[in-house]
Amino acid sequence: MASRTVSATAEKSSDQTDQRAGEEANLPHRSLTQADRLEIFRQLYLARYFDVRLIKEKKRGRLTGTLYSSHNQEAILVGALFGLRPSDWISPVHRDMPAFFLKDAKAGWRNPDRMGMSLEEVCAQVWCKVTSPGRARDNWSHIGSRERRIVHSTSMLAGTIPVAAGVVLADRLNGGDAVCVTFNGEGSTAQGIFHEAINFAAVHKLPVVTIIENNQWAYGTPVSMEVPTPDVADRARGYGIPGYVADGQDVFDVYDKVMQAVAHARSGAGPSIVECKTFRAYGHGDHDDDRANKYRSPEEIEHGRARDPIAVCRRKLIEFGDLTGDTATSYPAEGKPSSQAMNDDFPPDVVEYMDEAIQFALHAAVPDAEEGGRWVFHEPGGHR
Amino acid sequence: MSAVAVPVKKNYLTALREAIDEEMGRNNDLLCLGEDIGILGGAFGVTEGLQAKYGAHRVMDMPISEGAIIGTSVGAALNGKTVMAEMQFIDFISCGFDQIVNTLATYHYRTAGEVSMPIVVRGPAGAYSGGALYHSQMNEAWFCNAPGLKVVCPSTPADAKGLLKAALRDPNPVIFYEIKELYRKKQIEEEIPENHIVPLGKAVIRRPGKDVTLVSYGQTVYHCVAAADALAEQGISAEVIDLRSLVPLDEETVFLSLGKTNRVVVVNEAPMTCGFAGELLARISEKAFHLLDAPPQRVTRLDTPVPWAKPMELYVLPSVEKIVAAAMRTVRF
Repeated sequence: MASRTVSATAEKSSDQTDQRAGEEANLPHRSLTQADRLEIFRQLYLARYFDVRLIKEKKRGRLTGTLYSSHNQEAILVGALFGLRPSDWISPVHRDMPAFFLKDAKAGWRNPDRMGMSLEEVCAQVWCKVTSPGRARDNWSHIGSRERRIVHSTSMLAGTIPVAAGVVLADRLNGGDAVCVTFNGEGSTAQGIFHEAINFAAVHKLPVVTIIENNQWAYGTPVSMEVPTPDVADRARGYGIPGYVADGQDVFDVYDKVMQAVAHARSGAGPSIVECKTFRAYGHGDHDDDRANKYRSPEEIEHGRARDPIAVCRRKLIEFGDLTGDTATSYPAEGKPSSQAMNDDFPPDVVEYMDEAIQFALHAAVPDAEEGGRWVFHEPGGHR
Repeated sequence: MSAVAVPVKKNYLTALREAIDEEMGRNNDLLCLGEDIGILGGAFGVTEGLQAKYGAHRVMDMPISEGAIIGTSVGAALNGKTVMAEMQFIDFISCGFDQIVNTLATYHYRTAGEVSMPIVVRGPAGAYSGGALYHSQMNEAWFCNAPGLKVVCPSTPADAKGLLKAALRDPNPVIFYEIKELYRKKQIEEEIPENHIVPLGKAVIRRPGKDVTLVSYGQTVYHCVAAADALAEQGISAEVIDLRSLVPLDEETVFLSLGKTNRVVVVNEAPMTCGFAGELLARISEKAFHLLDAPPQRVTRLDTPVPWAKPMELYVLPSVEKIVAAAMRTVRF
């Protein structure tokens, strides 16, 4: 499951070593520039800091509502999104909150024209303000944007996979070549609609990439009670589509597998499943943090948190020579629970971006009560 | 050479096909998704010939996956398409229930008007045909209880065409109940003008009267008309209202009628408890209580499934006799 490394082949014959080195050189992430890799590292920090800061804000009493942490799963979001085109669609769910502002983030975090949401909009949503993309009509991750090509999520797990299929079906009919990358947990693969949607997408070779964030726990139920096969990606076989398995802690392995799946989809060869192995570091939501320390053993939790995606990425960047000297050890956010990480553990521009977004959210208005009765049906001339 | 147009009477099914055909002709973004609708032309033939005319990319044969049919329709609409989604029988709509009530119905609301969902989910409905439990249902109440959906049920060929065309032009999702017993019924064939549109939310008076109002929709409109005939023999003049749309509901036509008759019987095929008849009686009681001279009545299916054997089927369903008896209760109160 882990990425191959050249050094791991030391005991093999020189032929095998050459072959492996050749494969390694062809991996999509090897084409990334140093600037790309450093931006990826920065995005991991941004995703982590979003989580860290929301926990702090809640503890400080400036935020209410349940938080669904993506802590320890950030490499999946960053790795899956980084290689997409602005015209591609995505479909995140509750544990993917950073996906909304990471989409097309490489076009510039503050670039108003990028095909993703600004952190301000996402924070306005978290704070239940009228400036949220959904005007605070549904909670947490239940936002989206047709204009910026983000499918609006719901609480119905796997329920947006058929929507993703419909989006790219329409795109194809319009002559487009967009791919839709959907994010789901391993638990959602037990839903009937998961089968219906992937089956349909496979029949019509629709460019839907279904990422399964296998974090081992569906709320309080372990993956062994949800999925009967060793890998969730094994489900792909029944549809005659590729099932990739990625190391969800390694942003570059996620990037490689997703880029292969995206290339497959964009070429017209059809959908695929990319399982990213990871571990849910905390509770299902923050309300579940204490119980999640009881229904899971300390050993399992320690093992699951051991390979922090920021640390894994840092090691790779050191190997690449991107981080040297002091920069190799600066901003040690990894391995720290969100409740204990400090602002100093993060690059200042990350903290600053989040500060601005929170100020925007705090100063925004709540919706008028009467808006609760609007937009049940289309209002002629009444669009926002 | 000049030809004199001979008026052609059309059945309910042909009217539906013409509606879809005409709308596909004028709206290149209209797609049809459903089971067996392309190669076969639909289990009942509503979409016959449309795949040959518009291509398999616009009339798509879908796997037996109602959830995926609705979900795919939603995605296509999110990306600019209009969709007609056929349920092979409206009974099977329950397999797509979650996608309808949680994804489709709420889309416009949860996006604060950003995204509209021009989707018509249509399919054959109704009993009296020996279809038994799973080919007889009228489950419209489920969807009337899901804000964001319009719910429509035509009883004549002209309305079938006009309402379907209006539904296919509506920016909101519409659940469209077709009465399969009426699909090929000779007696109700009628001439229908080209581009005939019937706006959603407008009821129609099928039979004027002054003593009691019979309100219904779909197949039981004909039971009400027959009941009105029977009542007329006893000197009672019944007015028959065909609602045509349940959401939005034309309360005004009902209340205006009650202003004349002061008595009302609501008739529908669905089970009684929490059915649409109950909803209409509640609104009448709240808003038009002062117009009533007698307790409002309803005639519905018993609170049972629809059984197969004919005597049992008729036993549980509304009948002309049951409607006449209910009307008499209001008149003799």
